[in-house]
Amino acid sequence: MNTTRRGILAGAALLAPWQAMGFEREGGRKVLVFSGNQAVPVLDPHVRYDWSTRMIQQGVYDALLKYVGDPPRIVPWLAERYEASADGLTYTFHLAANATFHNGDAVDAEAVRFSFERGLKLNAGIAWMLKDFLKPEKIVAVDARTVRFTLERPFAPFISYVPWWYIVNPKQVLANVSEGDYGRKWLTENAAGSGPFKLRRFDGNSLIHMDTHAAYWKGWPMGEANRLAGAIFRIVREAAPRRAGLQRREIDVITNMSPDDMEQLAKLPGIRNEDHAGFTTFGIKFNCQTGPTADVNLRKAIAHAMDYDALIAIHNGGARLMDSPFPPGMESHISVPGIPRKDLDKAKQYLARSRFPNGDIELEYVHVQGLEDPRRIGLALLDSLRPLNIRLNIVGQPWTTMVARGSKAETAPNMTSVYVTPVGTDPDTVAYQYHRESWGLYYGMSHYENPEVWRMIGEARGMVDKPARLAMYAEIQRRIVADQPEIFGMIPNRTWAMRDYVKGFQFSPIRFTGEVDLYPMWIEA
Amino acid sequence: MIAAYVARRLALAGVMLFGLVCLTFVIANVAPSDPAALAAGPDAGRSQIEQARRDYGLDKPLHEQFLRYVGDLAQGEFGRSVATGRSVGRDLARYFPATLELCLVAMSIGLVVGIPLGMLSALFKDRWLDHVTRIFAVSGIALPPFWFGLLLQLGFATWLGWLPTSGRLGVATEPPEPITGMLLLDSLLRGDAALFWESAGYIILPALVLSLPCLASILRVNRSEMVECLRADYITAARAHGTVPWRLVAVHALKNAMLPTLAIIGLRWGWMMSSTVLVETVFDWPGTGLYAVSSAIAGDFKPVMGVTLIVGLNFMLANLVVDLLYGVLDPRLRDA
Repeated sequence: MNTTRRGILAGAALLAPWQAMGFEREGGRKVLVFSGNQAVPVLDPHVRYDWSTRMIQQGVYDALLKYVGDPPRIVPWLAERYEASADGLTYTFHLAANATFHNGDAVDAEAVRFSFERGLKLNAGIAWMLKDFLKPEKIVAVDARTVRFTLERPFAPFISYVPWWYIVNPKQVLANVSEGDYGRKWLTENAAGSGPFKLRRFDGNSLIHMDTHAAYWKGWPMGEANRLAGAIFRIVREAAPRRAGLQRREIDVITNMSPDDMEQLAKLPGIRNEDHAGFTTFGIKFNCQTGPTADVNLRKAIAHAMDYDALIAIHNGGARLMDSPFPPGMESHISVPGIPRKDLDKAKQYLARSRFPNGDIELEYVHVQGLEDPRRIGLALLDSLRPLNIRLNIVGQPWTTMVARGSKAETAPNMTSVYVTPVGTDPDTVAYQYHRESWGLYYGMSHYENPEVWRMIGEARGMVDKPARLAMYAEIQRRIVADQPEIFGMIPNRTWAMRDYVKGFQFSPIRFTGEVDLYPMWIEA
Repeated sequence: MIAAYVARRLALAGVMLFGLVCLTFVIANVAPSDPAALAAGPDAGRSQIEQARRDYGLDKPLHEQFLRYVGDLAQGEFGRSVATGRSVGRDLARYFPATLELCLVAMSIGLVVGIPLGMLSALFKDRWLDHVTRIFAVSGIALPPFWFGLLLQLGFATWLGWLPTSGRLGVATEPPEPITGMLLLDSLLRGDAALFWESAGYIILPALVLSLPCLASILRVNRSEMVECLRADYITAARAHGTVPWRLVAVHALKNAMLPTLAIIGLRWGWMMSSTVLVETVFDWPGTGLYAVSSAIAGDFKPVMGVTLIVGLNFMLANLVVDLLYGVLDPRLRDA
């Protein structure tokens, strides 16, 4: 008998009820299954955000404004328009008339006021964005559809953060308060939003199932006929089963795959890759306060010895080098002239001027344990530093350990590799990482010191005159590069692999690494 | 007599458990991480971190935190996860049935396959069957479960498509309201055949991977004990007495060979629950192992301590049960 592989598979399909035959369906509609490696521990939009959490939050909640497109634009959402006063202190938002929460309650000015107040008073998650500039009592529901924010002092990035302040239904939240917790316990696993999806099942460690809200006040871009029944976010921690799930059509979209995996997936029939220039920067932060790297000449020597081509090669070409502390696409970004590239002669000149003219030192390079790319970048750096007679000790540590070490200049490693995704498009989001106030936070592990730059950063965030503000940021970028608090590395591409029947994918670099906007997506088959 | 013995053992287990609590608390607190920073979120400023520190009582001196933790434990409370703010006890109650189900199925495979194979291997000592099972046993112990799991996924899920890759149920299947929380058992109790087969399909691969080291150990120990027993005088006597061969093997020899096998089963049951950490991660099995791994990666130590205590308790209980069963199987030990 001539047994073929196809014959075996056909027989197996009959025998095995688990054989995946295509996308999930519910009634006459399809269900999109998305898979990544990161859990969603807390759904409360005012308590936590990361890529997976925010993807679900963006599904079940709406904000006054929304980020869309590449380059990212801020478009009206719950607010159909807004005005800012000339002094940059007052912002007035006018709400859409037809917006309703899932339970039918109107999204009114009081809901907006309550949500911002809740975000500020809980003092967790998103609170850091606005708490120094906005007091809860300065948010006023003028009438049912108008809400006014009066800032303590001008804060130019204000609008760039508004899209992350999701609006919750006060009635639902207040009905579920326990021990004066502002509904925090309840909102950890429940939703009270007005977004395009309604939460159906929440197990943040393994699976989140959302149904589309048929009566979504904003309508559905793909038309009612093509609207999904829902979307499922399935957490699969290992890359191999994620990939297998996509191949077997158990999963429609996957993310968090290695460049090698992506290359292989692209060759498979029925699968297409989305590959886009991102916003997340990869830098190697020097400890600018203690140890050998406190010496700016040594920092510059290392930055000129680094093999930058290796950064791109490690990503199979799917990355671009940073030419400024700010990512390209961010307002006010300039390509800083003279940003270090590999130049061994220059590296040796800087080394000669440093306290270690002959090298002969060992430096510690710390990366997040388990992340392959930063480890390989460490190896490239190790090779790059040999000609300077500098040894490198590459250490992988858990994220929490690394951050705890970096919280003090005395314990921060000589070099720490960090990915940073800007939370908003305003240049202050990145610039503030170099301010004194950011010392000790994960993006401030370099403990960079330059009082003049700090002053400029502080001044720029309050400037209303836009051209002057942009000029100030150009100067800030040049000065930071001159001080070399880190090796400005690269910006890796964001990648997703998906079945070719998945439509409506819209990339926006402002979203976090694996995050997608599920609202415009649908399945055509 | 038995009651006093059990009471003594339980008291000892209590002391050991307290030791474990101390140890896990120390380990969790010497690890250089800041749980308050974790609770406050990645971009949180100092005031937020300090507020989280107060919220979770992390601003108190360590001895005070320890006393509070022990006090909570005494009331059956495992504390709160700093990553989610949820009660760890509630989380454990949610995830433990999945782990228990996985371990029970894996142990069943280990027993049903391991004991007969061990017997057969002993009966056909130094013949091809014996050689094959011995190779199987050695590789069963030597194969890293992580790698073996990925291999099975590749073969049975990706290439053949016979079984699902990971998870506990299909993504669109609503899990039923739990009775025991063990899906196989719950579906039987509800008479839901479709759910039973679906969950059976999902549990096969992780249970196989989890069972392999246990199966291999049982097989090896059972084989060597059976070989010894079959050589013993009382078997020769029984054989001379005309006892039928199956009875000779399955009753006379097996009963004696079971004593050390029982010890290994108890030990393996304890190990199995800790091995779920790897297997559950590969198969995304939503049990305590996966819960511990996710929490450990995030630096969230209350859940890790909770799982450690559960695993430790399980070890102690398994040893206790084995000791008691020893008495049942060997009357000489009852009075010892």
